[in-house]
Order: sequence, then structure tokens, then C-alpha cells
Amino acid sequence: MILEALIGVTFLAALIVMLSPDEYAGRLAFALSLLPVVGSLYMWAGFDAGGNALMAGSIAYRTQIDWLVAGGYRLQWFVGVDGISLPLVVLSTVLTTLAILSAWTPIDTRQSQFYGLMLFMEANLLGVFTALDFFLWFVFWEAVLVPMYFLIGVWGGPRRKYAAIKFFVYTNIASLVMFIGFMSLVFNLPVDSFGLPAITGSLQAGELSRFVGLDPAALKLAAFAAMFVGFAVKVPVVPFHTWLPDAHVEAPTPVSVMLAGVLLKMGTYALLRYNFTMLPDVATRPLVATVIAAVAVVSVIYGAMLALAQRDLKRIVAYSSVSSMGYVILGLIAYTGLGIGGATFQMVAHGLISGLMFMAVGVIYNVTHTRMVGDMSGMADRMPITVGILVAGAFGYMGLPLMAGFAAEYFIFQGAFASTVIPSAPLFTAASMFGIVIVAGYLLLAMQRTLFGEFRLETDYEVRRAHFHDVAPLAVLLLCTIALGVAPDIFFTMMADAIEPVVAVVGGGA
Amino acid sequence: MAGLFDYTPAVVLLPFLSFLIAVGVAISGRDLLPKGGAVPGIAATAGSFLLSVALAVAVAGGEVYNETVYAWAGGAVPGTEGLELTFGVLIDPLSALMLVIVTLVALLVHVFSLGYMNDEGETGLPRYYAGLGLFTASMLGFVVADNLLMAFVFFELVGLCSYLLIGFHFREPGPPSAAKKAFLVTRFGDYFFLVGVVAVLATFGTGQFAGPESFPVFAEEALHGEHAVNTFLGLGEETWFTVVGLLVLGGVIGKSAQFPLQTWLPDAMEGPTPVSALIHAATMVAAGVYLVARMYGFYAVSPTALGVIALVGGFTALFAGTMGIVKRELKQVLAYSTISQYGYMMLALGAGGYVAATFHLLTHAFFKALLFLGAGSVIIAMHHNENMWDMGGLKGRMPVTYYSFLAGSLALAGIFPFAGFWSKDEILYETLVHGLGGQPLLLVGYVFGLLAVPVTAFYTFRMVFLTFHGDARTEQASSPEPVGWNVKGPLAVLGVLAAGAGVVNLAPVRVLTGAHVDFLHGWLDAGFAELTVHHYEEIDPYSSAYIGGEATTVLVGAAVSLGLALLGLALAYKLYAVPTPTEHTAKLGSVRDLLYDNYYQDEYQVFLARRVVLPLARAADTFDRSVVDGAVDATSSVSLFSGSRIRRIQTGVVSNYAALLTLGLTVLLVLFGVLGGWLL
Amino acid sequence: MVPAQYYLVLSAAIFCIGVFGLLTRRNALLFLMSVELMLNAANVNLVAFSLYWGNVTGQTFSLFTMALAAAEVAVGIGIILVLYRNFKDVDVTEATTMRW
Repeated sequence: MILEALIGVTFLAALIVMLSPDEYAGRLAFALSLLPVVGSLYMWAGFDAGGNALMAGSIAYRTQIDWLVAGGYRLQWFVGVDGISLPLVVLSTVLTTLAILSAWTPIDTRQSQFYGLMLFMEANLLGVFTALDFFLWFVFWEAVLVPMYFLIGVWGGPRRKYAAIKFFVYTNIASLVMFIGFMSLVFNLPVDSFGLPAITGSLQAGELSRFVGLDPAALKLAAFAAMFVGFAVKVPVVPFHTWLPDAHVEAPTPVSVMLAGVLLKMGTYALLRYNFTMLPDVATRPLVATVIAAVAVVSVIYGAMLALAQRDLKRIVAYSSVSSMGYVILGLIAYTGLGIGGATFQMVAHGLISGLMFMAVGVIYNVTHTRMVGDMSGMADRMPITVGILVAGAFGYMGLPLMAGFAAEYFIFQGAFASTVIPSAPLFTAASMFGIVIVAGYLLLAMQRTLFGEFRLETDYEVRRAHFHDVAPLAVLLLCTIALGVAPDIFFTMMADAIEPVVAVVGGGA
Repeated sequence: MAGLFDYTPAVVLLPFLSFLIAVGVAISGRDLLPKGGAVPGIAATAGSFLLSVALAVAVAGGEVYNETVYAWAGGAVPGTEGLELTFGVLIDPLSALMLVIVTLVALLVHVFSLGYMNDEGETGLPRYYAGLGLFTASMLGFVVADNLLMAFVFFELVGLCSYLLIGFHFREPGPPSAAKKAFLVTRFGDYFFLVGVVAVLATFGTGQFAGPESFPVFAEEALHGEHAVNTFLGLGEETWFTVVGLLVLGGVIGKSAQFPLQTWLPDAMEGPTPVSALIHAATMVAAGVYLVARMYGFYAVSPTALGVIALVGGFTALFAGTMGIVKRELKQVLAYSTISQYGYMMLALGAGGYVAATFHLLTHAFFKALLFLGAGSVIIAMHHNENMWDMGGLKGRMPVTYYSFLAGSLALAGIFPFAGFWSKDEILYETLVHGLGGQPLLLVGYVFGLLAVPVTAFYTFRMVFLTFHGDARTEQASSPEPVGWNVKGPLAVLGVLAAGAGVVNLAPVRVLTGAHVDFLHGWLDAGFAELTVHHYEEIDPYSSAYIGGEATTVLVGAAVSLGLALLGLALAYKLYAVPTPTEHTAKLGSVRDLLYDNYYQDEYQVFLARRVVLPLARAADTFDRSVVDGAVDATSSVSLFSGSRIRRIQTGVVSNYAALLTLGLTVLLVLFGVLGGWLL
Repeated sequence: MVPAQYYLVLSAAIFCIGVFGLLTRRNALLFLMSVELMLNAANVNLVAFSLYWGNVTGQTFSLFTMALAAAEVAVGIGIILVLYRNFKDVDVTEATTMRW
């Protein structure tokens, strides 16, 4: 019942905060958001699942209750976690709390609604990462978009309406495409529920029947393509990425943190759960694997090149997310323990590091009211600790060893290099690895121009040291990043355990 | 003594602890510790040094140590049995020797920093000492690494520390730019290194350096068909090993500042001088060469890789030396000499002179640290003016600095009997005999190395004469600021070592007299069987041939190199050891400009970055905004446009709606009628 | 007994008159009347079939429809009053402010 309590408490907290006065909504939201953090840590402490939740593994904190019957299909309240979802649950709760803390300074209107929506979004995110019934999952999946739309559209920058509508419509159309793809599978399987394990089992038992003239193989390919495109928008993968920089630039800092830190992981999580777990026989076709690996490499290099051309610090970090997510795709398509494990690890690692980067940029923006590279220099002189953490975070982003990003990227590279699924895997891997040079290039360039040199600020605001509650979340994220980098096994062991069955289906090696 | 080895991680952790303390002090923003946090650093490096010496003594007793200390990750990953992502400690003669060098130089640099940084009233000292502590810790972690992955991890951390320390004076425009360049250029090399690491682990399933389960051993066995490995891209084993070796070499070329990635190093002079000493003598730049020595067994089985190493090294030795001739700043000359000297080490490694390279690494660490600290002393005296043309006549006013600097210069120039002579001579000798043994490529490297000898001697003594001899050319030079014990002490220690360190390996003497005085050779020939010198000599592709006999070759080689060195020295003496020297290099005309501008290598690299990569990025950005995002916006525009047209139906006139309703009803009725067969 | 067809023809005729009124009149009150005609056409149908099958369900439904028509007139008159207040007229083609 703890999962229900976790999600329920978060919804309740959202309601309470929504109704509270603006003066202490922020503090109340922070205090209440600690409850899910404690809950998720408690779940982690008592975690006892083994194997993959979709592939006959044991599921921790499982609840499965029939909800209603529609069209001959049982819809269930079916939740539970395994080694893939638990780290993401922990990431969501921790990052929400820190994002709420980082909102204290920049958010100065309609606080109760802002924090209420943040908590509402957190509750739905927890639902996305724990639901094991497609219908339930889809409800949460779509419900995440609503608070995000308002968070960007109400508290955002000058072009917030454009960004919010683009975000909502783009991702919603993608959800529709994905929905059609998935339903075309389900309706041709002899299953009586939308439970994901049942669907996975049935698919892998080869029970798919013909549909409007498509034989099962072709149907699978079509469904795979539809689902891949649907999730690719969310990830985002080049060329479906253009909503991301707009959304990030317009969104206020805490929302960017959530967007980059957790919302993007919904896409990669869903890719892993649906495309790569349910339809491995499609993904491992040489042509499909080549296309996906190529898409991954293009995302990495093209995203990094775009970041290089930007002047807005937030845009830089936003495009670099495209680059980092490219690594995840590469790891997934590798179909090796290290590859998919590294991709899963990268979801958490990137969540922490990109959250850190957005927050640090936000702290600087709070005092300078500009994010443009040319508008300031020598910030290290005035905000030494913030800049120190920002530099550390930037190195984490570049994949400095003993920080979480390196562990994730190294696993992915090692896993992808020896992949038997991707044709000419070493070449694809080496090509994508060049991203680590470009990422160093644009981050170092931006840092040199904004943080170092003589102090200068175009906007003429008085620059003082940041508040403790601005810097504290940065420090927490940095420490988490280093902890995960020094001891990746904190999460990696359980991830690897949950991924093993996925890889075993393909018979992939190291 | 087995218990002692269990404390090996402390060698790394002590400086790391000092880093943590200094970071704490820096964050507090208050003056919590005396000397700005120097004391923990000095205590920690002193502790590490003592422990390293104890380890070296234990290794001298024939003990070695190779244990996994920490399982980093991936123990439970399916399908990766045997792929160990672990951190461990490997103490053998090579790493024990390197530990002593690194800790000693780090200790002296810490002490020297008291004089260079504290006494000069620098601000941000806790940050400085934090950087030094982390730098030392990273390098020590790299030295004791027992596998390639761990080596890469600390290799990168060394890069980070160089960034932090080179950019120490971040309020000025130069240092942050130099720091960025240092990290970026070495990152470019490290990219290849990382591909190499991944390839090694994918090929052999292990990255261990030592033991029967290590990748050099597997490589050797694979070539004899005794061990199966995974090769990729359809390449044969030997070709694949060469590819992998060259990939790893990318990192070496970046960090050890070899051609064509040497451009970051002269810029790195923007960092505080003690940092330069640390980077050049014992840590970052040494890391590259040390890595090749560490996995020499792997390179030894690939003649092509060895040839590339030798050629790159030899070429760099000469190439960098020529640039050093015309520089005006004291530290610039030293920077180019560092590149050149590491070129010699690479030449030695490529030519099968494993002992010679290690020997030169050892002697170079001492005399280059000495020269940098001496330069630092001069810079203090000159109030941070580094231009040699503003100096002169410092000889009488700072004797300790002068004599120790002279000792270092003689060693650098390779003058008998200073340390550098022995090590450089051995490198050239090894290259020559292996080249004569049927390797024309090595003979090319030998010629490069030989030509670099007089160049080295010339720029070294040009520097000495300009700085210390003649008349004082400025006011500062005539009344230099005195330096304290914390500057003179390290200089004296290093001066003695630079003069006398050659005794550890008097190889020519052994050849001539038969006395076993090549101690370093014996030292490196102990320990793990697969990491010994004679094992390397067995597996490397080289054979020796001599001019006349062995003794004749030794004598001829030594005489030629010493003669050339003296020639360079004499030329420098003639041109610059006069009361008021003039810029003779100006006579070189456009050649001088070419040399002074480093063969325009910075320009082409900046050109690549600014005029190729950045426009490419901007083009990508334009493409992204117009085409990719344009397609997205076009979709919405089409929807909006069609909506704006179709909504015209909504006239607002109720009668029209009613008419449409009626029409619709009629159409439906007719349709049903036709389909149902009631009509027609 | 009168055959059901006669009732249907009557019903269709009333309905068509209602539709005709709806399409040609501009006065909102006439609109309302036309709608009443159409509703009553349906009522005629219901009652006729009720008689034809000997089943009172149809008559019950026609009673419902009458109640509904009364409610509809109440709402409709209210709308017309508001219409008049805003446009000083009961011409339905005048009130076109809510188009696109």
C-alpha cells in the first residue's frame, strides 16, 4: 500500500498547497514534498524486487485491483516498482523537493498555485514510473502535461504562450501516435487486460494475430515505429527536439529543472519499457538497429553542435540535454547489460546534473536578470560558491570521472562498443563519443566568458551572494552526483538485475 | 612488510584529505588555517612521500603488490563476467619509483608555494592549495592504478586540476583562456584514449596492467594463438592491437604535449609558477609518458605503434626545441624545453628503450622542477616580470638560485656528468643500436633526437646567460627582491638531485667496465615477470647492431651527443655571455617570426575552432531553426490557416445553421434510403 | 379505424411546415412556434403508433414531450427577451456577434 500512500499523499499535498495562502505556500510545499522523499527512500530501503517487472520478475510494492471493464478489457489499478523504476521514483521525489526550494526566490506571483501544480505534477510522475497497467499509465502520462502547460504558460518568460502551446500540442500529438501504435498491438493479442506484464508475455509468446492485411511481423514493425516516434518526441530525439529549447528558455528555473530532470526521462523510460522490452525482435533487426543508432549519433553530435552556437545559457543546457539523451538511445539499442544499464543510469545521472545546471544558471539569473553569454563576465568574483558548484556541475556534464555522468556514459560506450545488435557498433560508438569533446568545448567556452575574467554586467543589477536556500539544492545535487559517480552500484546493481531479462531475450553479450 | 602495502591507498588519500580541508576552508570564506591552508597540504604530501619511500624500500626487497581495492561498478551486470570495473593498487618497481618522484616534487612545490604565493600576498590561497592537493592526489591515483580504466579516471582528474590551477588567476583574461585550451586540447586526446580504453576492455575483457590475466599478456598470447580475444571491424589481431594502441596513444599525445597537440602547454604558463613546475615535472605531462611505460608490454607487440611513438617523439623533440630558441619569456623557454624533453622520452619508448625513458623521466622530473622553481625565484625577484631581456646580472645577487639553476641547465643541456647527460645519452644510444638493427625509421628518430641536442643546449644557455650574466638591464634586475628559505630550500634539494641523479643508471660505464652500476636497469628488471625489462626486450620487435663493437658505439654516441651539446653551449656563450647582449635571433628574419609564432600552429588550431567549427555550429543552428523547427511551425501554420478558412461556415446567422441542419438531415435520409434499399 | 399512414402524412406535413418556418422566418418568436410545430409532429407520430400497436408507452412519451416543449418555450422566451434587450430587435439574423 505504500505506493498508493506515496501517490495519494502527493496529490493531497498538491491540494493543500493549492488552497493555502501565498505567503507561506513555498515553505509549506517544501515541507510537504519531504513526505514523498521520505516515502521513496523508505521504499528504497525495503526494496526486494528481482528481475524485470514486465518479464515475470517479482515486483516490489505491488498492488493489482480490477477497476472496471471496458470493451472486454479489464482496466486495473496495477502499480509496483522494479530496479528500473525505483531509481526514477527516488529521482522524481528528490528533484521535486529541490526544485521547490529553488523556486522560493524567482516565483513571486500566485505562489500557492505554482507549488500546487508542481506537487500535482510530481504525483503524476510517480504514477508514470510505477503504473503497470497501460490504461492507468496513460492517464498519468497525459496528466503530467497539464500542470506543465500551466507552469510554462503562466510563470514563463515573454514567449511563454508560444512555448507552452508548442510543448503541449507537440507532445500530445506524439502521445496519440504512440497510443495508436500500442493499441494496434493490444487489440490483436489474446489478452483480457491492459496489464503490461500480460501484454509483454503474450507478445513474446508470439500470439500476435494478423490485422488488416498486415502479418504479425509487419504489424510489430509498424507499432514499433509509431511508438518510437511517439516517445522520441518526449525524449527528445533529433529531429523531434525543437519544442525543448523553446520550453526551457521560457520556463522558470524550477520548471526547467523538472522538465529536463524528470520529464525527459518519461520518454526514455517508456522507450525501454515498451519498444525495447516488448518488441526486441523488431529492435534487433539490423536495419532498425542501424537507423536507431544513427539517430542516436546524430542526436549526440547535432545537439552538441547546436549548443555550441547558442548564447543563452539555458538554451546551451537545453540543447546539451538533446545530446545526453542521444547517449541513452545508443545505450538502449546496444542491447547489452552495460548498454541498457548505462542508459538507465544515464536517466538518473542526467536528471541530477541537468537539474544542477539549470538551477545554477537560475541562481545567476536571479541576481543578474540575464542569461546571455555576452552580457556578463567575471561572475566568479561575486558569487564564488555558486560559481564553484556550477563549474563542478559543468565538469560533471562533460563526463568527469567519479561523477555520475561519466559512469553512465562509460557504461553506455562500453556496452555499445561490443554490441552485436548494431552493425559496425565500434564506429557508431566512437562517433557518438566525440560528443564528449564538443560538450567540453561549449561548456568551457561559456564558462570562460561568463564566469571568469573581470567582473562586468550589462544589466546593472547589484550582484550579491545568493541565498542559502538557493545554493543548498545545488550542493545537494552535486553531492548526489559525486556519490553516484564514486559508487554507481548504489543504483546500478538493481538496474542491471531488472535489465538482465531484457538482454537475455536477445542473447546479447557484454 | 605485507602490512605496509595495505596502506598504499593512503598515499593517494592523504593529499585528497588536504584537498577536502582546503575546500572546507575556501567555502567558509574565513581565514581558518594559518598559511591559507598550506600546512595540511605540506603535511599530507610529506606523509605520502615518506610512505612512498617506505614502499620503494619494500619493493627493493623484492616485494610487489597488485590488489583490487574497490569494486567500482558492474559486478552484477549480466554477460560481463570477467569485465572488472574496479579500482586497485599496483606497486611494482616502476610505480614505486614514480610515487617517490611525484611525492617529492609535490612536497617541494608545496613548500615553494609558501614563498611564491603566501609571501607574495596572493588571495584565494585555500583554493590554490585545494587545487594542489587534488592535483597531487589525482596523479598519485594515476600512478598506482592497476588497470586502464582507473588510469583513465585519474588521467581525467589530472586534467581537471590543471584547468583549476592554470586558471587560478581567473579575474585576468589570460589564465581562464589558457585553462580552457589546456583542458580542451587534452580532452581531444582523451577522446581517443577513452575509445582505446573501451576497446581494450571490449577486446580483452580486462584492463589489468599486471598479472597473468592482464591485457598485455593476453595480447601477447593472442598473437601466438594461445588466447582468444574479440577483435572488431573485421580486423586481424595485430592490426586491431595497433589500432587500439594508437587510440590510447591519443591521450598520451594530448597530455604529454606531443606534436600536434602540444599547443596548450606554452599557454599553460599562465598558471602560477609552482603549478607549472608540478605540471611539467611530475604530474600532468609526465602522466602521458608514464602511461606508455605502464602498458609497455602491449605496445611492444605492435611494431607499427612503436614506430609511430618513436617518430612522434623524435620529431617533437626537435620541433619544440627550435621554437624555444627565440622566446623572450623565461617560462616560455622552459615550456618548449618540456615538450622537447618528453619528445625524447617518447622516442626512447618507441625505440625499445624502456629503461632509458624511465631514466629520463626521473632525471627530467628533478631538473625541470628545479628550473621552474628557479624561474619562480627569479620571477619573485623581478616582481613578476618574466621577460629575460629585462633581466641580466642576477648571478651575483641571488647565488643560491643561480647555482641551482645552473645545475638544472647543465642537466637539461646534457652536459657530462650531470643527470640529463646520462639519461639523454642512453636514449640516443638505444635508438641508434636498434635503428642500426634494421629499423630505418628509428634512425630517422635518432637524427631528430641528435639534432635537438645542440638546439637544447643553445636555448638553455641563452636563457641562463640572459637571465644571470651580463649587466642588469632594468632597475628590478639590479635590486631584486630577496627570497626566503622556503624558496631556497627546495632549490637546493633539487639542485643536488639534478646534478647527481645520473648515478642511478650509469649504463655506459657498465658497458665499458663491466661493473654493474646500471641500478635502474636492475630495479626495473624486478617485480612482476611480465613487467620486467628483459621480458619487454624479448617481445619487442627490435634487435641491436653496433658500429664496431658495443663499447665503440657507446663511446662514439656519447662523444657525438656531448660534442653537439657543447657546440650549442659555446654558441650561446659567444652570443649572449656578454655584458649587453643583443637579439641575435632577429637576424633570422622571417624564420624567427615563424619560430616565435610556433609555426603558426595556434593559428591553425584557432582557425579550426573559430572559422570551421563555430560557423558549422551556427549553420546547424540556422538549419535547426529554419528547417527542423520550421517544419514544426509549418504544421501549425497549415492547421491555423485551414481553421481560419473553415470557420467561415460559422456565420452567426441562426437560419444558416438551421438550413445546414436540414440539409444534413436530408442527405442522411437519402443516404440511408439508398443504402438500405428503400429508395431506388 | 383510420390507417396509420394518414397520421404519418399529417405528421410529415406539420413537420415540413415547421421546417419551412424555421428556414424562412427571421422573427425569433416565429422560430419558436416552428419548433413547437416540429415537436408536435413528432407527438402525432408517437400517439398514432401508440394507437396502432395498442401500447400506451407512446402516449406517455408524448406527454413527456409536451412537458419538455413547455420548458423549452420558457427557456426560449427568456432567450428572446435577452435578445431583444441586447439588439433592440427579435430578428435572429441580427445577433451574429458570436461567429468566428
